[in-house]
Amino acid sequence: MRLAELQMKFQAGIRNSDQSILASVRDSQRTDRATLFAVYYDAYRLRLAEFLANDFPMLRNLLGEEAFGRLAEDYIESTPSRQPNARWYGTRLPDFMLEIPSWCTNRSAIDLARFERALSDAFDAADAPIAAMESLQDTGSEDWPHLTFDFHPSVTLLDFRGGTAEIYAALAEEKEPPAAQEDRETILFWRNDGQPLYRPAAEDECLALREAMHRKKFAEICVLLAFQSGEDVTARAAGFILQWFADGLIARWSIEPGTSLLVSVPEV
Amino acid sequence: MAQPSSLGMGLGLRPVYYPDILDKTPSVDWFEVISENFMVPGGRPIAMLERIRTSYPIVMHGVSMSIASTAPLDFTYLGALKGLADRFQPEWISDHLCWTGVHGVNLHDLLPIPYTSEALDHVVDRIMRVQDFLGRRIAIENVSSYITFAESEMDEWTFVREVAERADCWLLLDVNNVFVSSFNHGFDPARYIEAIPKDRVVQFHLAGHSEAGTHKIDTHDQPVCEEVWSLYSEICHHFGPVSTLIERDANFPPFGELMAELDRARTVAAAARLANQEAAA
Repeated sequence: MRLAELQMKFQAGIRNSDQSILASVRDSQRTDRATLFAVYYDAYRLRLAEFLANDFPMLRNLLGEEAFGRLAEDYIESTPSRQPNARWYGTRLPDFMLEIPSWCTNRSAIDLARFERALSDAFDAADAPIAAMESLQDTGSEDWPHLTFDFHPSVTLLDFRGGTAEIYAALAEEKEPPAAQEDRETILFWRNDGQPLYRPAAEDECLALREAMHRKKFAEICVLLAFQSGEDVTARAAGFILQWFADGLIARWSIEPGTSLLVSVPEV
Repeated sequence: MAQPSSLGMGLGLRPVYYPDILDKTPSVDWFEVISENFMVPGGRPIAMLERIRTSYPIVMHGVSMSIASTAPLDFTYLGALKGLADRFQPEWISDHLCWTGVHGVNLHDLLPIPYTSEALDHVVDRIMRVQDFLGRRIAIENVSSYITFAESEMDEWTFVREVAERADCWLLLDVNNVFVSSFNHGFDPARYIEAIPKDRVVQFHLAGHSEAGTHKIDTHDQPVCEEVWSLYSEICHHFGPVSTLIERDANFPPFGELMAELDRARTVAAAARLANQEAAA
């Protein structure tokens, strides 16, 4: 048998329980070929299940050993790894749960899986410098309207069912998780000093952050926020920006030339 | 290209030991890193490796080159490997004499190959292409195996020797894998050792395995067993000083236990060196 055919049969034996590879395998002095081939069959499933358990520890806590084991089994049978790095194997798990009738109604579990995936993504997102708040000190009032920001590559905003962050936190502390709410919450994920972090973000902060991540100028963000709320929101918008600096979300800032819009300058 | 001289005694770098390594700067001569663990955009893994690299030599050890696969070589993977090597300047790069999948699938296991002339030609060609791409020799490691193929035309050790000579690559001799495979397939490990060309071996691995009654499984979750220590002693007598690594991937003990294993490896290697010197005098 040619090497390519043998490898195809071997892989089918591991993934699909195809027995045809056993014709090429010898019994050992101590046991039969099926027992020996099962080492590879079992190791494949154990290893992928371990990857999932490592990447979704709180989902495992929420579901319990048995249900998480069933989920892992379903995922492994339907989803081969196509990456050299095991890090990415579980990336599709939340989407898989959404697609499968037995899991798609468990929104709390799906949102928790999405939450843990976001933490993993923040953990090893690309590196970038963090801009210090003090770097804004010499920025004159005439320049504030033209400020734009580049964010750290780990920064992400995601929407969840209300209470997902609290469920995650309770499970992480080995406490009984609260029930999910019917409303929505938006969670901000990022990394600072090597640690993935998260916090809820209010509706107006999310709006400001999404605009800022699209490189909208400070004045444009203020105009949009004012349009939404009908109030003078400059101080609140400036507060968001100072908080983003404090959190370590901003990698760089710059002053984009253009028509000046009057905004009041915050104390830095 | 001259055979690299021994780096001494090293440990596999695993995240669970980062605090021990960074806080205590232990007397480990070098670290082996799993290449794929650092093929990520950024974050803590890269930052940790940068810090550790300032104090220790490293070698890069991969698990996904799939050098014996009949699937096309993955040049995206190899490009990332080359980039990592350019950044961290390892003493050498190694991977396994195995395949990990075909048809775009990665089974994340070190799968066995039949020892045929077809497989030999195939593996030799691919190692040479990889070495051309990376611009350096790579080291190829023997794996533990649980089955033998009816198609095999030669012994594993003959295959390994031919691969090294024809591809002009280095060898990473895993002592535990020789022991596990010798038990599983019923061969004398001494025959294996005798067949391996001394001038190709740049590194030894020492690790633990699990017992399954009728066979042994290479799990890296146990201390190095007495039989493997004994085989390591014979290997040190045969090969002389070669960089040696304690490999642990699960059931992690306190760092001190790995250091104790490393000290034992030092003692075994030193005793073999002394005995060889006395024999030569």
